Amino acid sequence: MSENRTTPFAYIAEFGSAPELYHAAEHVRDAGFKRWDVHTPYPVHGIDKAMGLGKSWLSTCSLIGGVTGFLTALSLEFFTQVMLYPTVVQNKPTNLSTIPAFFPVMFELTILFTAFATLIGLCAFIMLPRWNHPLFNSALFNKFSDDGFILVIESRDPKFRKERTREFLEEIGAGEIELLEA
Amino acid sequence: MAGLKDADDFRDGEHFKGGGLLKFLLLGGGVLFAIIFIVLAATGGAEQEGGYSRSGAMAYSWLFAIVFFLTLSIGGIFWTLLHHASNSGWGIVVRRMMENIGTMVLFVLILGIPLVTVPTFKEALWEWIPLKAALDEKVDARYEEGAVAKLKGEYEAGQKTAQSEFDAFKAQNLADQAKARPGAKMALSDQLAKQEADLAKVTEHDLSEGALKEEIAKEVYLDHHDGNYMLWKKRGYLNEGAWTFRFVLYFIALVGIIYALRFWSVKNDKDGDPKWFLLQRKWACGFLPFFATAWTFLVFDWLMALDYTWFSTMWGVYLFAGSALNSMALLILVITVLMKVGYLKKVVTPEHYLLMGRLLFAFTVFWGYIAFSQFFLIWYANITEETRFYLQRNAEFWNMYTILALVVGHFFIPFLMLLIQQAKKNLTYICTASAWILCMHVLDIYWIIIPERGPSLTDGGMMTIPGAIWYDVIAFLAVGGIFGFFFLWRLGTASLFPCRDPRLDESLNVVN
Repeated sequence: MSENRTTPFAYIAEFGSAPELYHAAEHVRDAGFKRWDVHTPYPVHGIDKAMGLGKSWLSTCSLIGGVTGFLTALSLEFFTQVMLYPTVVQNKPTNLSTIPAFFPVMFELTILFTAFATLIGLCAFIMLPRWNHPLFNSALFNKFSDDGFILVIESRDPKFRKERTREFLEEIGAGEIELLEA
Repeated sequence: MAGLKDADDFRDGEHFKGGGLLKFLLLGGGVLFAIIFIVLAATGGAEQEGGYSRSGAMAYSWLFAIVFFLTLSIGGIFWTLLHHASNSGWGIVVRRMMENIGTMVLFVLILGIPLVTVPTFKEALWEWIPLKAALDEKVDARYEEGAVAKLKGEYEAGQKTAQSEFDAFKAQNLADQAKARPGAKMALSDQLAKQEADLAKVTEHDLSEGALKEEIAKEVYLDHHDGNYMLWKKRGYLNEGAWTFRFVLYFIALVGIIYALRFWSVKNDKDGDPKWFLLQRKWACGFLPFFATAWTFLVFDWLMALDYTWFSTMWGVYLFAGSALNSMALLILVITVLMKVGYLKKVVTPEHYLLMGRLLFAFTVFWGYIAFSQFFLIWYANITEETRFYLQRNAEFWNMYTILALVVGHFFIPFLMLLIQQAKKNLTYICTASAWILCMHVLDIYWIIIPERGPSLTDGGMMTIPGAIWYDVIAFLAVGGIFGFFFLWRLGTASLFPCRDPRLDESLNVVN
């Protein structure tokens, strides 16, 4: 709450229902905005399409994590148990045929690394470890966790204009509109 | 959201017409191959080089064909039950097809009856049947030569002798006691009590006819040279009466479950009364345990018992995983073909394909998990009774077969194919994957049944029977043709989707 809160941070607009927000999102997408988001009390099916979001890269992170885990376990077990220090258990061979014994560890490490990669990747994409966010200063924004269908256009967006954007939001059917300053 | 479909537009359903020529071809082909099969099997009694008969080799072919198509219909029953039990809404539009696949269980099981009734077939397939019959014959011969009366006489004579010996001992003992000092007297009376207890053991021996017969049978079964300890221990389960009776129970359970569900489902099409829907939901949960038990024990009786000395507690789950996976693959293929010829076009969307593709992927992994677990537990425990199954399937030709068909073909390739999300919405791609999985499932069932054929029929003399693969092909085509015919006929008997299901709306507009 500093004294010189003069730079606008974002427009926060409330919509009456999920379908209204859905159509508004389509308009915002078509208007060419890039730095914006919607917030709803519950998941809305198909909103990603209405917002024009592409496929998330998160699954690539998971895949890389999975493959890394698989290869880590494979090389760890193979180098130690077959090549460096062959361990004979129950007269089973110490060569490529030992591989069934390695599967459980390979399976576990694949899953473990996938989970880590997914979590870390997700945090990186959404820049999560942070102390606060300017949007939390808005009472209107906080309605998203209750009954509000909120659309936020940030001022970082190259198409953001103080007056024109407000008019645009009114045009596409926004109810209450708030200019949040940070 | 624009473009929502209204279930009221679909109230009358879609009815499958046509397929007449294909139906005719399938039935004609199926019956033709069946006749060839029957003729070959009926005239194949003569003993070939190696000590097997052609009829015996063909029994395995028929079992292979029956089990393959049985797994498909079992999967259909499972998906229908699961759909109701989990109260799913997404798949209403494909549920009728699950029911259609499931009801094929009736025709497949009817075609499978020869396996249970024709002596040549069952004796070739299940070694325990002739082995047990031979032992029972021996037991009967013992009965006929009066072994029961003889044994009874022996026991009675023994009892008499024991009684008189005891009487003498007692008289002596009492006399000794009268003379003895107090300490010794106690020891003597203890001795007497012990002798009396021993006598009771002999005199109280059960001499009823049933008990004596059991004793004689046990003696024959446990004979060191010709006996069979396993068959004695397993006689309560592995005997022909109980085995045939169980088949009747499986038949009633599996056919009854799916026909009841489909009956209510079709009733619902006519009047749209939600009570039919509720009936299905309610009963599906009750049916599930019976379905699981019937299928598990059916595969115990038919497949695990191909080698009666071997056992695996994973067996039921293993066959179940394959069934569910391949029934889903068949479902996807059937829906796609129907869409290609103009049905279900407004009803089924790529979203349904994505959902079905996910289940296909999930069950690919599940199958791999179960198959590997079964192998792994047996492999590292390395117990003689259990390893036999895998040793046989890792010898000679079967080694490469196991690695290529099952490890690579049945698991790794479909796993990588179905890993990509967008691919599951692509009709061509997912159908390729489904067809591939179905082909691999044929190899899986082949791998379960056929390696037993050579060693069983030739007493370990041959790993494989030369030329027998053609009988497998003929049997497969025969059962497949008849299966296809009844399936096409079944498609025409009701709407292609449950058109008045209360939650059709939800399924029509499903979004992931």
